[in-house]
Amino acid sequence: MTAPMTAGLARELAAAVDELRRMTVQVRTRGPAGAGVLWDSEGSNGSALVITNAHVLRGDQARIELSDGTVARAQVVARDAKRDLAALEFEPSRELLFAVVRDSPPLRLGEVVIAIGHPGGLVGAATLGIIHRVEQEREAGAPRWIRADVRLAPGFSGGPLADTTGRLVGVNTMMQGSLALAVPAAAVEAWVRRSHTPVAR
Amino acid sequence: MSTVLQSLSTELADAVQSAGRAVVAIHARRRIPASGVHWRPGVIVATHHTISRDENITVTLPDGTTVPASLAGRDPSTDLAALKLVGQSLPTPSIRLDTPPKVGELVIALGRPGPSLTASWGVVSRVDGPWRTWQGAEIDSLLRLDLAIYDGFSGGPLIDGAGRVLGINTSALAPGVPVTIPGATVERVVTELLERGTIRRAYLGIGTQRVRVPESLARKLELQGDEALLIVSLEPGGPADRDGLLLGDVLIEIEGAVVSDPADILAKLGGDRVGRPLTARVIRGGQMKTLQVTPGERPKSRAA
Repeated sequence: MTAPMTAGLARELAAAVDELRRMTVQVRTRGPAGAGVLWDSEGSNGSALVITNAHVLRGDQARIELSDGTVARAQVVARDAKRDLAALEFEPSRELLFAVVRDSPPLRLGEVVIAIGHPGGLVGAATLGIIHRVEQEREAGAPRWIRADVRLAPGFSGGPLADTTGRLVGVNTMMQGSLALAVPAAAVEAWVRRSHTPVAR
Repeated sequence: MSTVLQSLSTELADAVQSAGRAVVAIHARRRIPASGVHWRPGVIVATHHTISRDENITVTLPDGTTVPASLAGRDPSTDLAALKLVGQSLPTPSIRLDTPPKVGELVIALGRPGPSLTASWGVVSRVDGPWRTWQGAEIDSLLRLDLAIYDGFSGGPLIDGAGRVLGINTSALAPGVPVTIPGATVERVVTELLERGTIRRAYLGIGTQRVRVPESLARKLELQGDEALLIVSLEPGGPADRDGLLLGDVLIEIEGAVVSDPADILAKLGGDRVGRPLTARVIRGGQMKTLQVTPGERPKSRAA
């Protein structure tokens, strides 16, 4: 039996995961490693940003490990415990692949999403799921969480939740039963703009 | 460039969108609402266990409006309930009755535990033949799922990749495991609920327990097996009591079929059996005895 669809699916999924891994880093302070997303900090003197969850970090310094094994020291430049977000700055030694935020079209219920993280020290693990719930328009304001039917584990925190084209839809933050809660990418973008103004050095 | 992965994602979202137009929230208990499906024009199917009151039931439609609904009937044995909705023009989903789901088939469970629709995906993990619930109802086929279930998902539909409804999901028929009541069973039960308000089931008014017949006695009476059912309770004035069954009788056969499990009795007690005598063979005082027992109609919430 030939299964061209399944074979194509497997190939495309592997390629998508590969690309997502390149924008995902390990973030280490004390304790187990969390995940982080490489973020384009637009013109801050060659330094790069990593977005992660505030709860991943202990202290103001962290060790970043890129997907190719490169290690860098990073400094916490912004932290928001309430939104559970943090931004770290580091000096990259090479060109990086940054996350691309999906601004449109709006997320659809049932859409396939991919999460990348490092559960139990398993670096660059991927898990697949679907969007579980999309806030209705009349529920005022921007949604606080992206809810996805994706099985996460500790170690996915701070990592990307992306659509099938590899664009970032959220930052995985916590589990609620078997449901994944991610900070919406648009909210992350707004938060970075608000809390981290690059200073010319 | 349209890829397989993106097409899959789009098709799943399309399936959810189309089937979701017929999924409603049911407000009939204290906790969070449960789900229901607009199965036929003006008829909502929900699960019995999520409807804790018979009056003051409301339904939240996909457009967000909440309207009253009336309970047309419920069947604890299949965990199904039917509600009537007046004056709404809601679409009905397409229901897949011709091709049964296959093990490994990609499926989505939809729910509406509030104004928003929710979805979880997985695969059909087991498909089997007809089975009986613990209250004796026959379900056309066993459908077990490998997917995460969320609060309020009971009463929602299981759909395939094309958005067609395969059945109604419930968490109440098997402990800790989501089960789907197949579309054929839902059709049958809903039709009867709309006609009668309940599902008619025959009953004898006995409680039984499995026992092993001593080998010597089994040989003497030329029994086919050595397992039988001891009558341990008898409803006073019930059908079995009235027709002469006694506490301590050991039930061997009903209508010529060996009974060694309480479910074997239930299998003989379909709705069409009410008022039609059954031949029962029992061991009483070491002797085989044959009796005629006429089942009555089971009152609500009673087992065999």
